[in-house]
Amino acid sequence: MAHVPLVPIGDPLATVADERTQDEHRQALAVLEERLRGQRAEVHAGWGPTYVDRVHAKGKLTSRERVERLKDSGTQIFEVGTFVNHGEVFANDMRSPAAGVVTAFARIEGRWCMVIANDNTVASGAWWPRTPEKIQRAQTMALRLRLPTIYLVDCSGLFLPEQSRSFPGARGAGHIFKMNSVLSASGVPQIAGVFGDCIAGGGYMPLISDRVYMTEQAYMVIAGAALIKGAKSQKMTSLDIGGPEVHVHQSGCADVRVPDDETLLACVRRDVARLPSSGADFYRGDIGAMEPLHRASELGAILPTDHREAYDAVQVLARLCDQSLFWELMPEVGEEIMCGVGRVGGLYAGFVINRQGLVGDPEHPGRRRPAGILYRAGIAKISAFSRACNADGIPLIWLQDISGFDIGAEAERHGLLAYGSNLIYTNSTNETPMFTVLLRKASGAGYYAMTGLPYDPVMQLSTVLSRQSVMEGRTLAIAAYNTKLDDDFRITTDDPDERARIETDMREVEERIEKDMDPFVAARQMDTDEIVELGELRAWLAAAVEMSYQGVGYRRVKNPRIWSLHDLHELVGGVR
Amino acid sequence: MAGPRTFHRLLIANRGEVATRIARACDAMGITPVFAVSEADREAPYCEGREVIVLGPARAALSYLDPIKVVQAAVQTRCTALHPGWGFLSENARFSALCGSHGVTFVGPPPQVMALMGTKTPAKRAMAAAGLALIPGSDGVLADADEARAVADRVGYPVLVKAESGGGGRGMRIARSAGELAAAFADASGEAQAAFGDPRVYLEKLVEGGRHVEIQILADNYGNVVHLGERDCTVQRNHQKLIEESPSPVLDQDERARTLEAAVRAAASIGYVGAGTMEFLLDEGGTLRFMEMNTRLQVEHSVTEMRSGVDLVVAQIEIAAGRPLCWTQADIALEGHAIECRINAEDPADAFRPAPGTITHWKAPATTNGFVRVDTHVTSGYTVPPHYDSLIAKVITRAADRDGACDRMIAALQELECTGVPTTVPMHLAILRSARFRASAYDTRAIPGWPPLE
Repeated sequence: MAHVPLVPIGDPLATVADERTQDEHRQALAVLEERLRGQRAEVHAGWGPTYVDRVHAKGKLTSRERVERLKDSGTQIFEVGTFVNHGEVFANDMRSPAAGVVTAFARIEGRWCMVIANDNTVASGAWWPRTPEKIQRAQTMALRLRLPTIYLVDCSGLFLPEQSRSFPGARGAGHIFKMNSVLSASGVPQIAGVFGDCIAGGGYMPLISDRVYMTEQAYMVIAGAALIKGAKSQKMTSLDIGGPEVHVHQSGCADVRVPDDETLLACVRRDVARLPSSGADFYRGDIGAMEPLHRASELGAILPTDHREAYDAVQVLARLCDQSLFWELMPEVGEEIMCGVGRVGGLYAGFVINRQGLVGDPEHPGRRRPAGILYRAGIAKISAFSRACNADGIPLIWLQDISGFDIGAEAERHGLLAYGSNLIYTNSTNETPMFTVLLRKASGAGYYAMTGLPYDPVMQLSTVLSRQSVMEGRTLAIAAYNTKLDDDFRITTDDPDERARIETDMREVEERIEKDMDPFVAARQMDTDEIVELGELRAWLAAAVEMSYQGVGYRRVKNPRIWSLHDLHELVGGVR
Repeated sequence: MAGPRTFHRLLIANRGEVATRIARACDAMGITPVFAVSEADREAPYCEGREVIVLGPARAALSYLDPIKVVQAAVQTRCTALHPGWGFLSENARFSALCGSHGVTFVGPPPQVMALMGTKTPAKRAMAAAGLALIPGSDGVLADADEARAVADRVGYPVLVKAESGGGGRGMRIARSAGELAAAFADASGEAQAAFGDPRVYLEKLVEGGRHVEIQILADNYGNVVHLGERDCTVQRNHQKLIEESPSPVLDQDERARTLEAAVRAAASIGYVGAGTMEFLLDEGGTLRFMEMNTRLQVEHSVTEMRSGVDLVVAQIEIAAGRPLCWTQADIALEGHAIECRINAEDPADAFRPAPGTITHWKAPATTNGFVRVDTHVTSGYTVPPHYDSLIAKVITRAADRDGACDRMIAALQELECTGVPTTVPMHLAILRSARFRASAYDTRAIPGWPPLE
């Protein structure tokens, strides 16, 4: 059978959960997502209206306004790294919303592009600690998917009081230009628009781009007076030293001079329109994008916010795949995990998702054991599935809600260390685009095995329910105070003082871990790429999958007839 | 003998009159039809001598409406195509995609087009973009009651607040004045949330009465689209069509030409494939306003066939097999006037009570000269099952003009003999003989000439 035998999955919400449960889930989630929206708005405001006015007074647009005008009207921008540095206070009591740079996927003339825009409402677009890493992360995403990359440059240079945290090191600011070069060497088109300051190292960023535009307010200099004198850069006559008059005409360091921001953005759009169009429509063939039958907005009613409560993974997939049609592979083995193929926005994608609750135990027929962790057969199953998707060029989406690997004598006897390493090898060497979503728990080796960020997915998304950790706080507290506890985890000592001290210490450990598991902490530290609302997840995945099929010729995309998935299906579940 | 030049075997995923209609097209094309039936229909005379596969019990939800069973039946009987007929799964985009995933060609448009036309405001937006007139109203869903008020003030009262994901009349409220609007908005939105899990509503001017006119479209896989004229289906009871005719007796020539042309353009713009019907409301000002598109064969397709000489079911199957249309618009000639009466096993004298039962005697009118056509699956001794709709036959007549077609219809219906169950024939005769019908002086709110004046 060379067809992709998708079948209907999922059930109407009313039969999945009663109304009270739905409401409980929605309300608990709403509180958390309200916080997300609030924090996002705060970041988007940059340094606030005073600085926005200051930009407008110069006859310029803010960086966010520029991105907004660059994209196709009616399309959604998918911003990554929104919360980098969020809540962090730097020297001179300064903050850097979004690390002073907007990095976002935007659709321009029907093509997905990575837009990297210095935030001119935050210290005139200065580079903070983590700004270089954030830009490099965006460049890496663009490189992986061969997306045209657009730099909207308006940058006063490094934020000097913290220069020791952004200048040196393997990922120091200079590595951005290395990434410019690597993108260029890999054939990824780059376009730069210079809207204002572009000083020192920043000067290299536009120059490696294939096409460089300068407005009449733009200048590029290796060393402006600003660097030497400290902070008062605005009043310098750097325009005379490195404005368009010099660079477009005399030095040739830029290609085109344009009067203003609006014209520059129109020129960038015109350039993108000259690039090859997206391959996505070709790969869709005669099948167009369709919404899931069971609406994606229902995810919030299904997922309990308490990570200890179970739900049906099938219902989640039904709300992410087009028309809620899905082909599950190898359902007979490794019941704790589901894998298979569905269409997202009309394009095939592979899915791996942890089941929750209790599942059958093949080692002890008749017994049930908890899912949400990995056992031998499940690891082998996703390993084989992941390899097959890579062989077939199917973008792979990992939906994590996992507390780790099975542990204990049986697990060691089964050699889970080796099975896990096998999976890790597979995911580490895959070339097909992979995207990871931390639905809730992302713990221990499970987080690694299911392509957590250390395994280089193109993008890792968190929800407001995500919890990244080696283990839960309670588990860690018990492990740390193991010698002081009996078999039922009760404190053994009879000394009341010591007992009180152990209790306090254990609580502190637990609380600290809990706090660190906050997705906003992860996002601040760049341990996740973005936090998204559950209701937005389908749109994010549809964009990600479409981007994966945009570029033609740089990666393998097999037609479904020659998928190795069919072999897997025959070998595991086929007719004997 | 050479095999058919299209599909070898085709599953008919429907029953009754339309099943025999599709089988007739298959016979003409050398295709072996396989009848997918429920247990209630397996012994029906129209299945005799045919290949039959049983889907499940009489209840439609367990047989004709179960997508997995129907696709399994197609795969199991080695059918490479499936004709859904009308009703049941015929407008289910997910079912169509399911067929595609399992190697069965669904005779109909691609699933994304069905899905688009199955939505309310996106479908209207697409049609308006191609130049079709709409009923004045909101551009898409409403943000809140204030927006509803602003739109209502612009289009004028009375207005209708409708659920975006609605259907079957639920999630729909009328507001006759500004004072009623807030409540109408809240009620419609609340009911929509409860019934469809989607509180979004939009607003339209309420057009009371008006006439129902629809345009038949045929499109192939290669962007060629033709129309086959319009049908007027104004004689209705609770949105159930009773009599259909072509051409519309009241439509202005310029409005007809303009809308036919726009309809073709609209079908092309959404990538439509196969046979489809765009339904319009003909308002008092004589403007055709797009309401919705049916992405399937319609019961009254035979009216168009009588005027055009085109076999729409054969055309559907050929298009599904990848054939380009074999005509351009100029090749389509619509001749004379055709009219169709739907004969249901219902008692029009008793509030149209459905009357399933055994037809002890059945004799259809003579169909000589091609001026009279009878589409039916019924023979003497046939039992109308209680589980499904009560259509037992369609009688279609053609003549040079409307009066001639009506007179021919009266003669044909007088010839029709049916005992055992009551039928709607007496009602049709009363309508056809009424002055209001003959003068075309009616709208969708009341049936002309029925009930008869004592």
